[in-house]
Amino acid sequence: MDTSPNLARAQWMSLLAQADPAELAAAMDGFAPPADTAWLRPAQTGLYMLRGRVGGTGPQFNFGEITVTRCSVQAGGHIGHAWVRGSQARHAELAALADALLQDDAQRDSLRQQVIEPLRRSLDQRRDDASRKAAASKVEFFTVVRGE
Amino acid sequence: MLAAFANPVFDSQRTFRELLQAMARPASPRALPILPPSPAPIAPAAMAILLTLCDATTSVWLQQPQREAVEHLRFHAGLRLVEQPQDADFALITDAASMPPLTSFARGDMRYPDRSASLIVQVAGFRSEGGAHFAGPGIRETESLAIDGLPWDFWQQRAALAVQLPLGIDLYFVAAQHVVALPRTTRLLES
Repeated sequence: MDTSPNLARAQWMSLLAQADPAELAAAMDGFAPPADTAWLRPAQTGLYMLRGRVGGTGPQFNFGEITVTRCSVQAGGHIGHAWVRGSQARHAELAALADALLQDDAQRDSLRQQVIEPLRRSLDQRRDDASRKAAASKVEFFTVVRGE
Repeated sequence: MLAAFANPVFDSQRTFRELLQAMARPASPRALPILPPSPAPIAPAAMAILLTLCDATTSVWLQQPQREAVEHLRFHAGLRLVEQPQDADFALITDAASMPPLTSFARGDMRYPDRSASLIVQVAGFRSEGGAHFAGPGIRETESLAIDGLPWDFWQQRAALAVQLPLGIDLYFVAAQHVVALPRTTRLLES
C-alpha cells in the first residue's frame, strides 16, 4: 500500500463515503466532536452529473444525475471534508468529522483501529457477497462447431 | 477558517432582496438582514454581498488579497479571483482611502454595457445630515447622504464617468450592517 499522506487520505475518504451509515455511526460513537468543532459548511444535498465513456474510451456522455451530500468541518485545527452518495446528512457529517480527526496525529491510530478497519472489513464482505451472488448466476456459453 | 451563511439558500435570497431594493432606491441606506462571519480585512456586510452575488461564473478583484480572506472566499463562494482590476465583474475595496482610480475598472462596451464592474466599497459610515444631494431614477426628488472615508477626488472621478452613459460603474457602499447602492444613473447634484 502506498504510504504517501495524500493517498492515505483519499483512501480513508473513499472508505468513509462508501460505508454503511449505520455502521459508521456505531463506529464513531466513541469519538465525540471536540469542543472547538466548527461546521464550516453544514451538510447540504444536491445533484452531481455523472459522466462516462463506453468501455473507458470514446467521447464523454452524461450518464445521469446522482444525489450527493457534502459537508465540511473544522475540528482540532484540521479541516475535514466529505462527499457521500445519497441524502443522509448524518452520514456526511460523521464522514467529515472522521476525516478531520484522522488528520490529527494523536487520534489517527485509534480511529484506524476502531473505525477504518471495521469499515474496510465490512466493505470487503459486501463486495465478496455481491461477487459470489453474481458468480452463482454465471452462464457458460458453448458454440457447437458445425463440421461443414 | 470561518463558516459562512448558516442557511446558504435562504440567507442569500434575503440578502439579494435587500440589494435589489437598495439598487432600486439609490442613496438610501438599508440594513442587511444577515451578517456572516468574515476574516479581516473584509467587513461582514461586504462578505454577505460577495456570498450572495458571486460564484464560479463571476470574476472578483480584491484590493487586499490576504491569504485567509482569499481561502475563505474560494471555499465558500468558489469564485474566480483576478489579478487586474479591469478583468473583474466585482471588485472589493477594503481600504477606500487608497482605492485605485475608477477608470481602472471595466465600464462595459457600447454593445454590452452590462459587462461593467460593480464595486463593493467599505467606508467609515453614512450620514444623512449635511450630505450631498443625489437625484436620478428611483429617487422622487432628491436624497441627501454623506459617505465618510472616500478619497477626496472620488466624486470628481465619478462625475467624469457620467458622460459615458450607458457605460459606467455601479457602486455598493457598506458600513457596519448598512448598504447604500449608487447605480451609474444616480447623479450627484452641485450644491
